[in-house]
This record gives sequence, structure tokens and C-alpha cells, in this order.
Amino acid sequence: MSTPQQQPVLTLRNLTRVHGSGATEVHALRGIDLDVHPGELVAVMGPSGSGKSTLLTIAGGLDNPTSGQVFVEGTDITALGIKGLAALRRRSIGYVFQDYNLIPALTAAENVALPRELDGISARRARGEALAALAEMDLGQLADRFPDEMSGGQQQRVAIARALVGDRRLVLADEPTGALDSETGESVLSLLRSRCDAGAAGIMVTHEPRFAAWADRVVFLRDGAVVDQTLRSDADSLLTDRAAQR
Amino acid sequence: MSIRHGLLALLERGPRYGSQLRTEFESRTGSTWPLNVGQVYTTLSRLERDGMVVQDGEDEAGHPLYAITDSGRVELRSWFEHPVDRTSPARDELAIKLAMAVGAPGVDIRDVIQSQRRHTVKAMQDYTRLKAQALTAVEKNGDRERDDIAWLLVLEQLIFQTEAEARWLDHCESRLIRLSSTAQAAGPEPASPGAVAGAAGTGARAAAGTEETARHRP
Amino acid sequence: MTTWFHSWRAAVRIARRDAWRFKGRSFLVLAMIALPILGVSALDLTVRSAELTPAQRMDRTLGAADARFTDAQMGGAAILQDPAGERNTPAGDYDSPGKSWPEGPTDVTKAIPAGSKVLTDSNGTAKLTTAHGLLQTEVRELAAADPVARGIMRLREGRFPEKNDEIAATTRFLESSGLSVGSTLTARGFDRTYVISGSYELPSDLTTEQVNALPGAFLAPYAKAVEKAGLPKPSISTSYLVKRAGGFTWNTVQVINAKGVVVTSRLVVLDPPADSDVPLYQKNDWVNYENGGGTDAAALAAVATVVGLAMLEICLLAGPAFAVGARRSRRQLGLVGANGGARSHIRAIVLSGGLVIGVAAALVGIVLALILTFALRPFLEDHMGQRFGGFTVRPLELLAIAALAVLTGLLSAIIPAVTASRQTVLASLTGRRGVRRSNRVLPLIGFGAVLLGAAVALYGSVVSDRSVLVSGGSAVAELGVVAMTPALVGLFGRAGRWLPLSPRLALRDAVRNRGRTAPAVAAVLAAIAGTVAVSAYAASRDAQSQAEYRATLPYGAGAALVTEEGGRDVPAVRDAVQRTLPVDVRADVSRVAVGKPGCDPYGEGEGCGYYEVVTPPANECPLWAATPDGSDPAEKYTDEQRRALTKDWRCRSRDGHGIHVDNGLVIADAPLLKVLGIDDPGAAKALAAGKLVSFSKPQVDKNGAVGIRLISDPEAADRARERNKPIPGEVKSFPAYQVPGSPDSYGVQSVLSPAAAKAAGLITVPLGAVFSTDRMPSTEQRQKFDAEIAKLGSDVELTLERGWVDENGLVLLALTVFAGLVTIGAAGIATGLAQADAEADLKTLAAVGAPPRVRRILSGFQCGVVAAMGVVLGSAAGFLPAVGLRLTEGREQMRSYQEALDRGWTDAGDVAPHVPIVVPWETLAALLVAVPLGAALLAALLTRSGGALSRRAAH
Repeated sequence: MSTPQQQPVLTLRNLTRVHGSGATEVHALRGIDLDVHPGELVAVMGPSGSGKSTLLTIAGGLDNPTSGQVFVEGTDITALGIKGLAALRRRSIGYVFQDYNLIPALTAAENVALPRELDGISARRARGEALAALAEMDLGQLADRFPDEMSGGQQQRVAIARALVGDRRLVLADEPTGALDSETGESVLSLLRSRCDAGAAGIMVTHEPRFAAWADRVVFLRDGAVVDQTLRSDADSLLTDRAAQR
Repeated sequence: MSIRHGLLALLERGPRYGSQLRTEFESRTGSTWPLNVGQVYTTLSRLERDGMVVQDGEDEAGHPLYAITDSGRVELRSWFEHPVDRTSPARDELAIKLAMAVGAPGVDIRDVIQSQRRHTVKAMQDYTRLKAQALTAVEKNGDRERDDIAWLLVLEQLIFQTEAEARWLDHCESRLIRLSSTAQAAGPEPASPGAVAGAAGTGARAAAGTEETARHRP
Repeated sequence: MTTWFHSWRAAVRIARRDAWRFKGRSFLVLAMIALPILGVSALDLTVRSAELTPAQRMDRTLGAADARFTDAQMGGAAILQDPAGERNTPAGDYDSPGKSWPEGPTDVTKAIPAGSKVLTDSNGTAKLTTAHGLLQTEVRELAAADPVARGIMRLREGRFPEKNDEIAATTRFLESSGLSVGSTLTARGFDRTYVISGSYELPSDLTTEQVNALPGAFLAPYAKAVEKAGLPKPSISTSYLVKRAGGFTWNTVQVINAKGVVVTSRLVVLDPPADSDVPLYQKNDWVNYENGGGTDAAALAAVATVVGLAMLEICLLAGPAFAVGARRSRRQLGLVGANGGARSHIRAIVLSGGLVIGVAAALVGIVLALILTFALRPFLEDHMGQRFGGFTVRPLELLAIAALAVLTGLLSAIIPAVTASRQTVLASLTGRRGVRRSNRVLPLIGFGAVLLGAAVALYGSVVSDRSVLVSGGSAVAELGVVAMTPALVGLFGRAGRWLPLSPRLALRDAVRNRGRTAPAVAAVLAAIAGTVAVSAYAASRDAQSQAEYRATLPYGAGAALVTEEGGRDVPAVRDAVQRTLPVDVRADVSRVAVGKPGCDPYGEGEGCGYYEVVTPPANECPLWAATPDGSDPAEKYTDEQRRALTKDWRCRSRDGHGIHVDNGLVIADAPLLKVLGIDDPGAAKALAAGKLVSFSKPQVDKNGAVGIRLISDPEAADRARERNKPIPGEVKSFPAYQVPGSPDSYGVQSVLSPAAAKAAGLITVPLGAVFSTDRMPSTEQRQKFDAEIAKLGSDVELTLERGWVDENGLVLLALTVFAGLVTIGAAGIATGLAQADAEADLKTLAAVGAPPRVRRILSGFQCGVVAAMGVVLGSAAGFLPAVGLRLTEGREQMRSYQEALDRGWTDAGDVAPHVPIVVPWETLAALLVAVPLGAALLAALLTRSGGALSRRAAH
């Protein structure tokens, strides 16, 4: 599915992150290299403490690497200031967390419109874009509901809509299904999958192989380093052949 | 699951002949359980012996048709009602392999686990993609729904089984790490787990590098 | 610009919904801001409604007339007046020697242009009989029913008088007299009877006790009757309401002024001439009292200070609520950050919380003020004693008040906003707790302010002796201390080591979470500091005034004196004294009268004169003795000589304390000496022997006699005095007995027995009673006595010596209570916040089996710790300015005392001023001990020991 000719949406180069110093020094990340291309969903797996979440926060500019570079849409974000990072999050990066993703004071549509409004777009236009994004993901009926009037799965789906509103096409999802039951989690992932198929790029941290299996590529982290990764190869399965015959 | 009950379940929908039963069986189980016609006919004759099916005429092409009897229906119902028998666990090659790998000289157990895990997850990815297709099919095709749902269930069973394997691997890994660190605390050993872990880390980096290059190969 | 606007809109939306979601907290802050706003806007509405437009004012004074003509009492000489007709001065130059100021009435009617419609409006007073007794009442003769007078009086009931035996009365008069419409009314010493035909009110003066009669129906016959009884007739002043087509322009007014008549013209008031066209303002020596810009600025500064301090206090109280709001919605703010909210956006969201509450508070406060003022208008009018001109709403002023509310809301939220925006998105999202580094700039600014304020105060106190500088400097320093609170709170943490477990936990928690503790402590600090400063200052002032207190009479003694109407009511007054008060010794006193017995003591009125006690020239104080050329005699002496002379016996003037008796001369028998506490046996003997008992050495001449000059022609005496000639008048001389030593005679300088006075041919008039009591009269007795006196309708000068009375007590108590309430409120808010923060810990505690009371104990100590910190800091911060102010005052008074001595002012007193500094121990004890203790107990009592178990963890 990935097309290497295209410029990656996210590139991590030799990324290192050290928490603390001296005796309490912890190497959360050790020299990570990673590219995420448009249309690609990458799952990051690993035991707890392997650096999964740190990777995600640094990729989104919420934390700074100790060394190395992060390119989002070709821009080195480690060189940006606080304001620049905030602007980047408004325009290029969408986050989806495990739960309570939505601002309780805002309706679904307003939540989705928030990054656009913060960016200074007029309220009407932002709402229009938000409604369009919701409708595209079949969530139009939720537009005027407040978060506490929605189920967990609906909230996560609205959060995905928010992550991709406007020109944003990089979703960073941190255990997006962690608080959901299996069936609901699947519907959220299938939405994420379809958004990536439609051209977005996504990184998802998860510890559930069943959800990681939705990804095009699964990256295994251990002790802050990439130890292995899988590619989904179309020719690798008997089943596929059989299915193709049907 | 037994072929016996599978055939009974198919016959309940109406009389069928042997190779027809084979095709339907495979389409229901998504080709994950290949049968040969001999197996089908052997099973049918045993069922006939036990009074659960009877030969009931022929179709236009002259194939002998089999139909389910009342005692066959009773057997089928009781099969649906009873849980699958787990008294004799299947011997799993992977479990035996890992058990052998522990303590084997020159083998990094973590590498063994990781390569198995990559394989497992890759399989899951494939199953999941098929499942995504199946999901779309279920939504679209109303008339063939019954078959599609059966196919979906089989796929999901495979996914969950594979997942169980992946989780078991995770568990093995963390247990082995914990055991090795207690061993380290117990006393100095020539091959210290730290060194093993470090070596494993660099090894994995190298492996990851190869994977990257592999992926970029056109 | 639009970008900024759009992102603010999103922020306001979040803040608005949040305010709605957390109604309890929002309501608390809203009430805190809205209440003062309600008060201020209601005040503004009331003041503005009570303020009359010139047209309304004219309707109330002129009715439908065009002008009011009033005699300037300048004998018809030309005058200059101001456009409103309120002030005037003779046009000519009367200041040069030899010219005497014009005086006397003129015939106003001659100045009224022909063809005008004229109404007379006459005023006098009469003693009217009421249901309870007599009431001194204003009588106004005006044809009130005439269309020209319409608007001056408002009819409430019945009708205005139509016949000569009818009278209308103000509602207030009916209330206090106990009469009603239809009752009959008589006046004392007047045989006519009137029927009350109706009641009315004066819209601009609802409290006036007034009756209205037709012109000529009351005052003239009444004056005649009174005169016949030998009493001074009431003075009647008459003005004229004039209606003429075209009205009176400023030019016409000036023409009429030339005849000595003042004109209040509607035309002129509605359209006043430029100042340059008003000759009065152009006169050299004219001082325009209205333009006292200095007092305006001072008042404005005071108002600004009060408003500023109130806003600060509200901000400090509301701040923590916003802080806890921001903290509770940390996850939400983190999400905004993750979605690209920059720090400015986070700040905007928290600030919007303040904006939303501020706007809501402004709306609520102002709308409530409008409703209340409108609904309570009749009560307000009664309370202010005048009808509103209309319900006046000044939108700009209300807008300014609303802006104040919004500003307060924003200021309250500003520090929480900055704090919230400084947290990293990651910390907000993960909800990590920890000690947040407090702002280091604010304490530094505070420290600077303390230094600056202290320097100014010190300069004011030591160098310039100006108390304004001291209090201003103290205020600045005080604000500095408020700003330093976070740092000071940190210092308290070190004291925690020696405390037992629970208070130590509470203290540590308070110190670790300065963000919420500091504003609450600062709020307490500010309130306590103010209270302590005022209490310490007031207590010191009290101590000083107690030390300086001079009794009017011996303790428990009293005097009831009447000078009106020749002492006609004196027997009744004496009787009332005897009947209602616990009298021990009663001395009946009389005074010397010159001329007719009905005259007042100052020689005013026809056929009246006065007397004076002669000081022999040899005994006159050289600093005061008249010189032939009229120059100041004190000029001849140096400072040292003046200082010496003030100690001279001739120059000891009587100071103002004691009862007020004309010339210090009282006609009375020996009981008076007893009441005054003069136990010199010689004095009583001398009095009985017909001698004059003197308490003032200078009045006794070298022959041992005191002379009393009877001046029967005051005008001749004035002329003689102007020319420095001997004053004409018969001098009667009495052998005197000078009381040895200098016993306090309480204002009485000479006592003469009635027999001796009669023998010498002096006319005496009863004055009243001076009495001692066997115990201090109770309040009930005093009220009864007052009621008896009120029945007489006389002007009785009543003195009852009760010793020194603390007048500040109630104010101090109110202040202490206020400070206590603020303390408990602030500490309560801080405790609520601490509880919210500690919820997780408390749940853990409960889970591991801590007994439920732990929650109570902890919250009690948390509340107590905040209150105690604020109270300790506040007491220290408040006491010092009070001390500084007192020291400065002491220096100021000492300096003016020395200056007075140099000048030879003899009434500077014998002792140097004593300016003590007193610690208000009771107030301090209440604030330092009782208030924190009460706050702690209250918090412990109000805390649920069970605790809410199900709470959504992330919100």
C-alpha cells in the first residue's frame, strides 16, 4: 500500500531521548529511525517502558528529543519554538489518546472545529469543515452532541475526525482502543484504517496485537530501540490465495 | 470441531450429495480446513451406519442424495449445545520449541521469540486484511450474507487464536527476562543477561536495518 | 486581528460552557463580584435619580412662576448676584473705613414689573399644639392651590386651605404631631383655631414639619398675639413668586438687582450666562467656593482607593476559585494544547472564565440594581428625604460600573491563566502532580513595593511630617506584602518541623501548593492588615481623647438650660428634671437680663440689651489688651516673652469646657456650689452674705469687687467699640469673694445669690436647673426626660456628664467582624480547593483504613493554617503603619503646640499634647486566636467525613 516514491509525512532520524541525568538517567529512546508515508498506518508495539509513548509525544512535538531530528511534512520540528510547535499541531498533526479525548464543554462539531478555530478561521467556516469531516466518517448525527452524551467508541471516532480535520494528514494515536471493548475498538480501528487508505498517515501505539494487525507495518520496540518490524506482504499467505480464488 | 457434525449441519438445510457437501463445507470454513471427497464419503457412510443420515434418492445427474434423520438432528442439537471438549490439549510445536531453546547453548531465546512473534503478527495482519474485506462484503452482499458471516467468524477465530499466541509470546519473553535478572542477582555468570540484552538490542537494530532496506527495495 | 478574535471566540465558548457545568463555583465567584456591583450601581441610580435637572429644581422652588423675588436685606442698595440667586453681595465698595455695610429691608414689591401675576410666599415659625404637646413648626403662607404655585407643594390628601381658618400640613408634621386631616390645630398663646384641610409634601424636603395657610391667615395675627404677651414676635420672611409673559432674562435680573432685590429666574437658571457676564464673579474679592478642586481630587483619590482595595480583595478571594477551575480542567487544557492551542490560547481560555463570570456578574448586578431601585423607590425617597426627579439611568456610568466588574473578573483569572499556560501540554495531559515553581517576579515586585512604600512612609513620618505620605506609603507597602505572600508562605514551611503530624501535613500541603494558598492568605492578610491598622490607630486615638477629655460637669451631674422666650418654660423643665431623673441636689439657676424680660441673652430684638463683666484694665492680658491704634498687641513681644506671658495669671483664659452660661455669671444659691463640687466653706458663706463668688481672678479689681456693665443700647455700644471709646452703660459693682486655689468651676466664673441680684436692682430671668444625681440616669430615664422636654416644644440645652464615652467601639467591632468573615471565607475557599486537590490522597487514606475523622481533622487544619498565616502576616503588616501614623501625628501636634506657645496663644493648654500608641489587645486576640480557631472548627464541622467516592477521575 505504501508508495516509497512519495515523501514521507513523518520522518524520525536517529532519535534519542534521555530522561533525567546521572544515577536516575533513563534512556527512553535510543537512535530511532522511522518513516511514515501517506496512506500508511504504522503500529508500534512493545512491552511497557519500551519507549512507545515517548516516541509518539516527540513525533507530535509535545516533547523534545535529546538528539536526532523529527520531520513533519518535511519540516524539522526540533528547530521550532513553542509557538511554532503549537501551530504545527494545529495544522499538521492530530492526536488521539486512549480516552477523554474531547473537550467536555464543546459539542462534537465544535471539538472537531477547535483546531481550525484556534488557527483563526471564522467560526462558521470551521464548523462547515467540521461537519464535512464528520459526515465523511458517517458521524453526522453526532454533530451537536456533547461528549458526555456519546459512547466511548463514538468519542474516539469524533477524535479521529478532529485529528484529520482541515489539511491535517498525520494521526498520532496512543492506545486509541485501550478503553473500549473488542467490537467497538474494531470499529474505531476500521475507521482509522479507512482514513489511512484514503491517504492519511498514522502511527498507533498499542499493546494489543489484534489491533496492531490492522496496520500496514508493525514496529517492535524494546528498551527504546526498534528490534524488528513486519510488513504485510500480499504473497505470504495460503489463505489469501484461496480467498482470491473465490 | 468434527467433520461429522459439520456435514450434519449442512444436511439440515436439505438433502445433498457428497461433492456438493465438500464444496459447501470449504466455502463455509473459508478454505481453512481442506477436505478430500474420500473423507466426505467415509464420514457419510459412518453416519448412515449410526442412523443419522439416510440415502434418499438421486438428483438429475444421478448423484446419490443424503438426508438427515431425526436421530441425526438430535445429535446435531446436542453438539451445538455442548462446549468443545478441551480434555486433550493439542501438542503445540512452538511450546516444545521454546522449552527446548531455554538453556540451549548459542541460542538467544529472545531472538527465537521475536522471530516467532513477527511471523504471528504478520499472519494476523493478513487475517485482518481479509477480515476487513469480509466486513465490507457483509455490509454489501445481502443475499450471500450467511456465507460471509460464517467466513468472518472463522477468520476472527483465527485472529484470536493467533493473538493468544502473540500474547503468550509476550508473556514468555517478560518471564524469561525476569528469570534472567534474578539469575544475575543470584551470582555472576559468564554470559551475563545484560550482555545478552545488549547484544540482542544491537542484533535487533541490525535486523531492523535489513528490514528497512528490504522494504525500500523496489 | 481577526485571527485573534476567532480564537478568542472559541476560548469564550469553552469558558462559558465550563462556567455552566460547574455552577456552584461559578455562582460563588459571581456573587462575590455581583454584590458590590449591585451596591454601586444602585447607589449610582439613586444618586442620579435624586439629582434634579435645573428645570425640575425650578419647578420645585418656583412652581409655575417665572421668578422668585427675595429681599437681599441690603436696605435697597444695589447688589450683585449669581445666576442661581443663591449668593449676593452689595455692588458698591463698603470695605473702606467709615462706610458701614448696608442693612435693612426694602420693599420688594416695588421691584416687580407691572402687569405681572404675583404670589406672596411667607415663612415664620410658631409653637403648635399637637397630640403630645407642643411642636416648633414652620408656618408657610402661600396660596398653594393657585396655578402659579403648582409644583412647589404636592397634595397628598384632602385639599389646600381655602378659608382663613383652614390649614394644610406636611405628612411629616402629621406624623410627628399625631394629628390627621380633619383635626383642629391651635398655636400656643393664640386663640384662633384652624382645621387641617389636607396634607402635602415638599418634594425636595420630605422631612420638613410645615403647615400651610392662606396669606395673612396665620402669621400676622399670631405675631400680634405673641407680642401682646410680651414675647419676641417671630420673624417673618417673605418672598414673591412672579409670573410674567416672557420671563426674566439675565439683563432684567441685573436691572432688578439694582433695587436690592435677589431674583431667582427660571430663564436664567435654565440658560445661565457665561461667567464673564456675571459681575459678581468679576469682583476682586469674590471667592468661588464651588471650585474647590483640591477637595474634589482628594475625594476622588479616596474613592479610587476604596474601589481599588475592594477590587483587590475580590480578586484575591475569587482568584483561587479560578485556580482550582483551571486545575480541574487541566486535562481539557492539555487537549487544547495537543490540538494546537498555543500558550496564548490556554491563557485566553482561563481568562475567558474570568471574562464570562465578570460579564455575568455585571449583568446580574446591574439588572438587580435597576429592579431594586425601581421597586424600592418610595423607601429610598423617604430615606433621602426628597422625591426623585425621575428614574434616571445613565448608561455610560452603568457601563463603567460593568467594566469594573469585567475587569475584576479578568484580574482574578489572570494569575491562574498564566500559571496554566506555563505547564507543558504533556504534564497537563498526564495529570502529573508536583510542586509548581511559583512566580519569582511577583514577590520581587512586592519586595520593591514594600521598600518604596516604607521609604515614602518613613520620609513622610520623619522628614515631612505629612500623614498623607505615611498612609500612602503604608498602602503601597501593604500591597507589596500582598504580592510577596507566596514567598512569605514559603517561609512558614520551615516552621513545620516542630508541629505534630496533622498540622504538619496541612502546613506542608499549603506551602507546596502555593498557587491556591497564596491568594487566600493574601486576601486574609489584606483584610486583617486593614482592620489591625484601623483598630490600632483608633485605640490609640481613643486613649488620647480619653486623656484629653475635660468633663462638662462633675460626673453624673447635669444641666438643663432654656434661654428662649424669657424662660417661660423653665418651671416645667425644672419639674421634668425633678420628676424623671434621679436628682440628688437641684440648683435652680437664673440669668441677668437687660431690657425686657423676654429678650434673649444676646441683645437682639427691640428693647433688648445685654451685659458684660468688666475686666479692670490693670488685669487685662497684655497680649490681648486693646491698643489705641487697633494694632495687634502681641506684635510687640518676642517669642520668649509670649511664652512667658501665656503662663501669666492674667492671660489664663477659660477654656471651652463646661456648661455654657452667658458671661460665666449665674444667679443661684448655695446648692449650685455643691453641685459643682466647690467645697470651700468660705464660698457658701460669702454667697449667703450677698457677695459675688468669683472663680476668675482677673475680673476682680484691686478693691476686691467685680463690675457688671448693663448695656441697654447695643447700637451705641457697638459704635463706641468701633471708635475705641468707653462703652456706655451703667456699671454695678459687687463685693467679691475670690475662691482660693483654682478649683474646676465648669464654665461658671461668677455666682451671685438671687437676693443680692434683686437688691442691686438687676432683672433676673429663670434659666434652668443644674443638678447632681445619686446614680447615673438610665437610658429609660433619659428617654422619658427627652419626651417631657419634647412636649414643651422648647429649645432646651441639656447636658449630662457621663464621663468619657468610647465612640469608635461599634465601628471597631464591625471591622473586626468583617475581617473575621473575610478570613473565614478566604480560608474556607482555600480549604475547599485543598480538599479538591487532596481527594485522591484522602481516598487512598480511606482505602488503607484511616478512620473517617482524618478527613475532618485534615481539612480543619488546612483551613486553620491558611487563616493563621494570613492573620499573623496581616497583624504585622497592619500594626506598623498605625504606629507610623501615630508617631507622625504626635510630631505634628507637638510642633503646632510649640508654635502656639511661640505665638502666645493662651488656649494652647497647660500640658504638651500626649499622643499614646496603644495595642488593641482585644481585637488582636480575637483576630489572632479566635478567628483561625473558628475557621478551623467550621471547616472541620462542614467537611463530610464520608467523602464522595464516585468521581470521574479525569475531569
